[in-house]
Amino acid sequence: MTSKTLGALIAALAVLAAGISGEAQGPIRIGASLSLTGTYAKLGRNQHEGYKLCEKDLNAKGGLLGRKIEFVVYDDQSTPATAVRLYEKLITEDKVEGVMGPYSSPVTEASVNVTEKYKKVMVAPLAATTSIFKRPPDKKRHYVFMVISPAEVYLEGLIDTAAKRGLKTVAVVNEDTLFSKAAASGAVELAKKRGMQVIFQEAYPKGNTDFSALLTKVKSLNPDVIAAATYFDDAVALARQMRELDVNPKAYGVTVGGDLPEFYDTLKTNADFIYGATQWEHVLPYPGNTEFFEAYKKEFGHEPSYHSAAGYAGCLIYTEAVKRAGSLDADRVREQLFKLEMRTVFGEYKVDQDGFQVAHKMVTFQWQEGKKVVVWPDELAQGKPRFPTPPWNQR
Amino acid sequence: MSPRPAALAALAAVTLALAVYPEFGTGYGVRSTLQVFMWIVLASSWNLISGLTGYVSFGHVAFFGAGAYTGAILIAKAGWPWGLAALAGGLGACVLALAIGYPCLRLKGPYFAIAMLGLNEVLRALVSYFEDLTGGGNGLSLPTLDATVPIYYVMGASALLVTLVTYVIITSRFGLRLMTIREDEVAAEAMGIDTARHKLYAFLLSAAGPGVAGALTARDQGYIEPISVFPLATTITMIVMVLFGGKGTVWGPVLGAVVLFVAQEIVWARYPYVHPLLFGVIIIAVVLLMPRGVLGLLQIRYRLPRTI
Amino acid sequence: MNVFVTPAMLGQVVISGILSGALYAMVALGLALIFGVMRIINVAHGPLLMLGAYATFFLYSALGINPYLTVPVSMLVLFAVGVLLERTLVFRVVDAPELSSLLLTFGISIALVNLAQLLFTSDLRSVEYLTGSWVVGPLALSKARVVAFTVASALTGLSFLFLQRTRLGKAIRATSQNREVAMVCGIDVQRIHLVTFGLSAALAGAGGALIAVIVAIQPEMGQIWTFKSFLVIVLGGAGNYPGALLGGILLGLIEQLASLFLTTQLSEVVAYVLLVLILLVRPTGLLGGRQT
Repeated sequence: MTSKTLGALIAALAVLAAGISGEAQGPIRIGASLSLTGTYAKLGRNQHEGYKLCEKDLNAKGGLLGRKIEFVVYDDQSTPATAVRLYEKLITEDKVEGVMGPYSSPVTEASVNVTEKYKKVMVAPLAATTSIFKRPPDKKRHYVFMVISPAEVYLEGLIDTAAKRGLKTVAVVNEDTLFSKAAASGAVELAKKRGMQVIFQEAYPKGNTDFSALLTKVKSLNPDVIAAATYFDDAVALARQMRELDVNPKAYGVTVGGDLPEFYDTLKTNADFIYGATQWEHVLPYPGNTEFFEAYKKEFGHEPSYHSAAGYAGCLIYTEAVKRAGSLDADRVREQLFKLEMRTVFGEYKVDQDGFQVAHKMVTFQWQEGKKVVVWPDELAQGKPRFPTPPWNQR
Repeated sequence: MSPRPAALAALAAVTLALAVYPEFGTGYGVRSTLQVFMWIVLASSWNLISGLTGYVSFGHVAFFGAGAYTGAILIAKAGWPWGLAALAGGLGACVLALAIGYPCLRLKGPYFAIAMLGLNEVLRALVSYFEDLTGGGNGLSLPTLDATVPIYYVMGASALLVTLVTYVIITSRFGLRLMTIREDEVAAEAMGIDTARHKLYAFLLSAAGPGVAGALTARDQGYIEPISVFPLATTITMIVMVLFGGKGTVWGPVLGAVVLFVAQEIVWARYPYVHPLLFGVIIIAVVLLMPRGVLGLLQIRYRLPRTI
Repeated sequence: MNVFVTPAMLGQVVISGILSGALYAMVALGLALIFGVMRIINVAHGPLLMLGAYATFFLYSALGINPYLTVPVSMLVLFAVGVLLERTLVFRVVDAPELSSLLLTFGISIALVNLAQLLFTSDLRSVEYLTGSWVVGPLALSKARVVAFTVASALTGLSFLFLQRTRLGKAIRATSQNREVAMVCGIDVQRIHLVTFGLSAALAGAGGALIAVIVAIQPEMGQIWTFKSFLVIVLGGAGNYPGALLGGILLGLIEQLASLFLTTQLSEVVAYVLLVLILLVRPTGLLGGRQT
């Protein structure tokens, strides 16, 4: 080889090397506004931890498109107005290359206006409200994708279980906020479809602690099923007062809050027989679920909630779409997200043409002697429901 | 040498800079400046009633919320253009002020404050209840529209307008009478001032700004819910801004709005988990250490004119 | 939703209203005392109650004793906190216009809530101690609420005895009626303020201790109590101490009855509308309080 050729070879290698290091232009920055303080602090932080674990796991496996990923997270204090500004900041000032969704439906609803404006794809792992995705044709959204099951189906397991066992009358109570109202109206729809009769429906203000009058009314109607679209405190208060006032439905179910370990710690045996709904449990037979559970506990020192798992899965789904698109270009990524069918630790992912989640399944569990036993749907159930719920004085 | 030409020139320069800012600024910068304008409107408006007459409106955010919902409902349900809806928001807030001002302004000191606080909660609860109209706890979503830059200008113009109105009032006999009421209402009555009417006018004026700002903010955010447009914290923030800058002055609220907004941004970005604590400390510090505010202190120290 | 209301249902709801009413009354009494004696509106009243609830929770978790035995301890702790706050911050705004006290106490309130979030986290806690109810005919009386009612009534009664019979109590009432004359009579007004604020905090703390057994404990739980205490005072008359008692029971009844005959959602609205109406029609409250 002549010195000339060697020189040319070295030059070529140098150019190649420069090209490769030019490729490694620093990490892919993914921005998100999360509720680290304020009303949703606890759950927003779980979601953040889900994102963080995904970042760690993905980087350990070589990153995305040959680069590491890095989350840039700001605290929106659980307020939609702040989240809107933060997404503007992330997109226009920090110039992040991708975004992930915030916590809760109201915050997501406000934030989506920003991501749509800048045509950034947003996988929104913790938005359960149908109206964010299903919009009239002139107001359609194009870049937002749902991961969890919508609010309307939270009480589906309860209603289905009750209907299958021939129960007829349903009382629905809910907190007067976005999510709970959707869950309640979903329950009413489902009940009617199954030929059940909704004999009572009432909302209570957020922060209400005394349900005596409400439960007195419910008791006088003696419903077979009580479906409560709640958060944590109201779920606990309702359960306690149902015992005090001797309200004995044959099945009683709650939504958010019933799945937390604190629910049982607080109510002890009074929590038994109560049905709850959750987007995810670590015992479900999804791929990598146990590993995720252990890794999360090790990393953060406490068990993950479904918000953690949803955050983790949402990040995986987004990065998978980017990988398949081969680029971060919004239109290519969104094309992949529409086509994608994926099974993660969180369960199934598949969306329809509105970005609305159609494959993920909620599960309904029942507290049985201090343990959450998944009783619905049949294909994921781990046990049978204890039915009917015995009256308080017979326990 | 009168400082006035220099001051006017400075004002013109700042206005010009702000007017061209959207060309250079990022989306975030424009939105944040828009927020500052909003706070100027809120703080200056509060100053009109509470700074000048001494009647502490402790639920002033009610007008903001009322304007926000009026505007949002007109946009979402009746298809009004947002400019018109904003005006309607201001008008709606004035109507509300008229309805409650007439009876409430008869109350003295602490009772007026508590009544305004109660009013804010009543409105929030009523908005939640009439959900067919307002969306209730679900909130109200507006058709998607990117109007941030035009809204920036309108909000900026509103801020300028409210400041101008404050200046005009403070230099007028009307303003002087309001301040007389603040100093000694009984004496003012004895002097023949129709205190009830004066207070009502001031109250109406103080409601218009927040009403318009509320409607504009609703349009900009694209989504409102009861808890986010009727929070006590907003009332407190506008009060602290005015106190900090100087109650009863023209530029005090403006100064307070700018300084405290920037301070909040810095604090909250650096110390997310303790910013309410720090905010509480700031409030305590302002109340105890500088109740007259920056401009109030300067006015005394350097004998600055009343029109500052 | 409207259902057919039987006398038994009405009775049940009235009982519930009275039970919560006594608790409202006791907590509001503290606020009334401060307003009467120091002319201060204490927006931090709710957070003080929250601290009382946490005190009970931690004592119960650490020592496993009957949480009702922690009530005196919570009261003592909160008395100390109240005295500390008064001595360092609140005394400065005693004669100032109401704006100063409103803002100062608001600042204290958000600082306390944030501190609680930092120290205790926002995780929901609860004291699982007394559940179930005593059944009397068709009526079910929640055990925890009956105990709360009893203790609250006792403490309120004791407070009144204290105010009527003891020298310190009379001094407090004297200061409340006319501070200048009280000073002339040789009453150490500074000390009275200190004690009153401490006492008010102690009553709030007792309230917190009692409801720790009933509701979920978290740093923001006190906000609603501040509002309700205001409502009670307006109903009964500011500075009118027996009025606080009446106002409390009245509020409890109104809430429950509105919830029974209308909807639970509306019961919130009804309470606030009543607040504004009373302020407009009879600002001195139903029993008549101070004029200015």
